[in-house]
Amino acid sequence: MIYMKTRLLFLFLLLTVTASAQEADSLLKSLSADSLPPTVDAVFKSTRVVLSHSSETQKKHDLDMRIRHHFGDIGGRFGSAHTFYGLDLASDLFIGFDYGISDDLTVAIGRSKTDELFNFSGKYKLLKQKNNGAMPANLTLFAQMGWIAREPFNASEFVDYTDRFSYFLQAIISRKFSQRLSLEVMPGFLLRKNVSDANEPENLFTLGFAGRMKLTKRLSFVADYTLVNGLSRPKDLATTYYNPLGVGLEIETGGHIFSLNFMNAEYIIENNFIPNTRKSWNDGGVRFGFTISRNFTLFKSKNKDSDKQSKIY
Amino acid sequence: MISTKKIISLVLIVLFVMLYLCGSAQTYVSKNIRASIYSSTPLEDIKAASDKASAVLITSTREVAVQVPVKSLEFDRKLMQEHFNENYMESDKYPFAKFKGIIAEQLDFSKDGEYDVTVNGVLSVHGVDQKRSIPGKISIKNGTVQISTAFKVACANHKIKIPTVVFTKIAEQISVKAEGKLNLLKQ
Repeated sequence: MIYMKTRLLFLFLLLTVTASAQEADSLLKSLSADSLPPTVDAVFKSTRVVLSHSSETQKKHDLDMRIRHHFGDIGGRFGSAHTFYGLDLASDLFIGFDYGISDDLTVAIGRSKTDELFNFSGKYKLLKQKNNGAMPANLTLFAQMGWIAREPFNASEFVDYTDRFSYFLQAIISRKFSQRLSLEVMPGFLLRKNVSDANEPENLFTLGFAGRMKLTKRLSFVADYTLVNGLSRPKDLATTYYNPLGVGLEIETGGHIFSLNFMNAEYIIENNFIPNTRKSWNDGGVRFGFTISRNFTLFKSKNKDSDKQSKIY
Repeated sequence: MISTKKIISLVLIVLFVMLYLCGSAQTYVSKNIRASIYSSTPLEDIKAASDKASAVLITSTREVAVQVPVKSLEFDRKLMQEHFNENYMESDKYPFAKFKGIIAEQLDFSKDGEYDVTVNGVLSVHGVDQKRSIPGKISIKNGTVQISTAFKVACANHKIKIPTVVFTKIAEQISVKAEGKLNLLKQ
């Protein structure tokens, strides 16, 4: 018994001495084992992909000013050289502001040319992807109200004032698969009153898909597609509607993001482009569009730590 | 009734204890070294700091190593922090910045004192290793070791590209500081 104890003590001491002579590298490795945050950042560079929202929200106290243009048809009856391939026309214009109340909650306001639509939205990052296996994906919830401010086209329109309002709800599920590739799926639901086609239901289910492929550190290929036809929408409508598809390049330079896109959707805001995309990629209905986004930090940080206080002169 | 084996064990134990007490192979460690970076240009001063750097000092070999988890560096502005990790440091690919070297001077770690030292070794940032000779200060007091250093890192030496649009806002040379207290590693 005593002999066993001595042997254990001997082993222990042997370990002590060898451990002190351990390589600095393996010690460093064990010391910094849990020093890296498990969160996966920058799933997308911007809060939008092409037409659709990405799972990203604004950083706390950051204000994003966003200007977006959709031009006219490149080809077909309204396009070609007579309209300079659509650049003479603007099918929709948008200016909006997104503000981060916290890193996870963003509120936004915007105005579109089409229908003089004002939109008010809230976006909340509920679940965040972790690289330690605890959470495989991000989940962001998005809700947007649209308010049509234009005069009625005829007496039967907007009889009830609430007919001017529409609501869009969406769950954005995304995953950063690698440094280059991020994908997302977005089930959504649109509620509205202002329906132009007699057979069309007021409410529509949507299912969106979007992705980003980084080409360089600051340049990405982005694309999104929203299923509207083929879900709850009936097939026998007087007007032919198409599913919106957008592709583009996104360039990030510090606080600016420039997005150059091609898409068949005439309109910019979900409450407009989900129910009313009447153009197709097949017959020249595709158009050019761009976004300029600029981030401003609104409040000076109250950070007391002088090692972290940045300053712009 | 004492066996030879027991005697041998006892002798060995005494030897090891002596070896241990001599302090010939003492190791000091820390998990919360403060590391900070500072970029200064006429247009913008950018600062970031972390308290999660690790350090190891092995007295027998005079080896020193400091490692900073790049993502633990906190900026005033979160968007800037995101760009720092995504566009410049590629922190997912190269999660740590590290310096490992040998102290040039002979120090007596058993006595209290303050020493200006030079550490010759390798600085690895953004996956690029650079041979560096870095000045620092080591003070020994009551069995703890305080280290501090300040040096500059040229972005170009570590293949960190600064695009022309932000060239006026980010310095070509980044000032780096690190300091903290290391404690004797308890087994």
